[in-house]
Amino acid sequence: MIEFFNFYVVPGIVTGSVYALGAIGITLIFGILRFGHFAHGDLATTGAYLALGATALLGLTPWVALPVAMILTALLAYGIHRLFYRHLESRPKILTVMASLGIGMMLRSIVQVVWGVDPLAYGSGIARAQSFGGLMLRPREIATLALTLALVAALLAFLRYSKWGKAMRAMSDNPDLARLCGVNNDQVTRLTWFIVGTLAAASGFCLGINTELTTMMGWSAMLSMFAAAVLGGVGRVEGAVVGGLVIGLAEELSVLLVPSPYKSATAFVILLAILLLRPQGIFKGKVL
Amino acid sequence: MKKKILASLAALTLGGMLTNVPVMAQNAKVAYLVGITGPIAGLAPTMVQSMKFAAEQVNTQGGIGKGGKIDYSVYDSGCNPQLATDAATKAVNINGAIGMVGPSCSGEVIAVANSVTVPAGVLLITSSGTSPKISTLDDKDLVFRTVPSDDYQGRALARTLKAHGTDKVAMTYLNNDYGLGLAEAFSDEFKKLGGTITASRAHEDKKPSYRSDLAELAKGGADTLVIFAYGNSSGLTIVRQAMENGFFKNFIGADGMRDESVIKALGDENLKNYLVSAPVGATGAGFEKFSKEFKAAGGDPNGTFAATSYDASFLMALAIEKAGGDKAKLSKALREVGSGQGEAILPGEWAKAKQLIAEGKPLHYLGASGDLHFDEHGDVAGNYALYKVSGNAFVEVEKIK
Repeated sequence: MIEFFNFYVVPGIVTGSVYALGAIGITLIFGILRFGHFAHGDLATTGAYLALGATALLGLTPWVALPVAMILTALLAYGIHRLFYRHLESRPKILTVMASLGIGMMLRSIVQVVWGVDPLAYGSGIARAQSFGGLMLRPREIATLALTLALVAALLAFLRYSKWGKAMRAMSDNPDLARLCGVNNDQVTRLTWFIVGTLAAASGFCLGINTELTTMMGWSAMLSMFAAAVLGGVGRVEGAVVGGLVIGLAEELSVLLVPSPYKSATAFVILLAILLLRPQGIFKGKVL
Repeated sequence: MKKKILASLAALTLGGMLTNVPVMAQNAKVAYLVGITGPIAGLAPTMVQSMKFAAEQVNTQGGIGKGGKIDYSVYDSGCNPQLATDAATKAVNINGAIGMVGPSCSGEVIAVANSVTVPAGVLLITSSGTSPKISTLDDKDLVFRTVPSDDYQGRALARTLKAHGTDKVAMTYLNNDYGLGLAEAFSDEFKKLGGTITASRAHEDKKPSYRSDLAELAKGGADTLVIFAYGNSSGLTIVRQAMENGFFKNFIGADGMRDESVIKALGDENLKNYLVSAPVGATGAGFEKFSKEFKAAGGDPNGTFAATSYDASFLMALAIEKAGGDKAKLSKALREVGSGQGEAILPGEWAKAKQLIAEGKPLHYLGASGDLHFDEHGDVAGNYALYKVSGNAFVEVEKIK
């Protein structure tokens, strides 16, 4: 029984946290800016590599390098918005969606040019697990879960209680009405990109520290992140978290029922089922 | 407007007459398709380097025909059948390549051969596509390889493991032509010799966690895991998670797992029980000559697929020279230089080969990776060795058969 937790549930939850951090960003962009951001996976990759760069250049330990990477990725996300997406704001949203695909390729290529295509790691060697009453956990897994919890709690509190958080929610509900009530849409957009960049870096970093850093890692994980965002309900942060955990667990547990090459397909089966049976998602998000 | 066009036309003609460009000698266009991005990106730089090295040797020693050169272009095939087909279409149908070295991965070779090179009548020599499925392609004798089929490698690895007293293994393989081909050959031979495969599971590339897969694999009680995947992709993640969770003690892989990334990421102190099989450059005169010259040019002759890539590129040049640059005769010409008859040509002996061809004398190529003698499928026999990790590199333990 404990094996079931060690080898199926724990990896599922850790992977799920990574998906959750990514899915929050996707769901925020979907909810507030109203488009599917396909560069999100590569933004996460870039964040992870920026953290690696900070460890190499500044001699920081990975977890100390993370805040540096989060700030840099936040600035990068905002920069991408200023340089590219902003000019497409008044055009049909599909153009922004397509543009984001291109941005994703650009980011990936830049990472490949700077860091090369070989897999890298924050540290060499392997980390054996410690036993907590039979439950095997690695420090980095505990840290991943703690980080996810802390970021989600902070974000939820921010959205609920702060003036800017309320403005974000207002814009998510109805941008025109929000503007009439005096919400500065430009500033809310800027804030959204800062938050999204921060979370993307965190998800990329957690993915990297639990496995390896590869230039394709964000792109590969992004489909699961999208599934998680839709599953939880588009625009709902708590939904993205639950969605991420469900997808992560489903992928790991699917191995018990279907051959492992279908692991990735599990996310899509869930996504399809949700779109058919409950298109608003678990937490009643926007209907796409 | 019309006047302008006329004037510019006149200027062009005049300009052309004035500069009096000599008729260009007939260059032979060759495409090198290598998976520069994607799962075998770690192996690609050496492969490209040795292919170019062969072409440069040809070009500096008299080139092709009368004053022609090997006009090569490198394309990224991404180790992805779709990207490879796009690249091959561009190389063959737009840029007019008459021969192709590569693509790198087995799935790509099959896709490119079926949809691009065979219909266009272009000769293809891959230096790293090892799937047994390539042997049986309906290829009109246009698909060759300088690297042996995995059928051979899988069986040799099974025999070696069994001979070392391993009777029980679990096996996981990447769900593509490469992984599947190796897995089928290995399990067939291992079972024939009386070994037990406690669990065998395919896996999908690029997932963050394989712990549930590993837990399933470990249920049979084997302490050796055989992995047919790539060491800078899913293979690395699987070995890491298997070690961290203590699922298996010994790890056996094939050439895809012979990737320095594994040592860099996991540290050599953790890889005491990590053994991989991979093709070796033969130790003969061909390899020694290649080794010395390639090293002098700044290359690593022991790099994975370095020798086979050199050979593929050099054989392509020999076939082109022999066929007089005629695309339709390339396959027959390649058979002749790979028949094992006539005077031996070592790597880099282009001037000598050119002389023999001009005199109409038979020759055969004694390559860097061994005596390249093509069988009816266009395959060559293999030279394999078992490697272990020592320091930051893979060192040979023994030759395997």
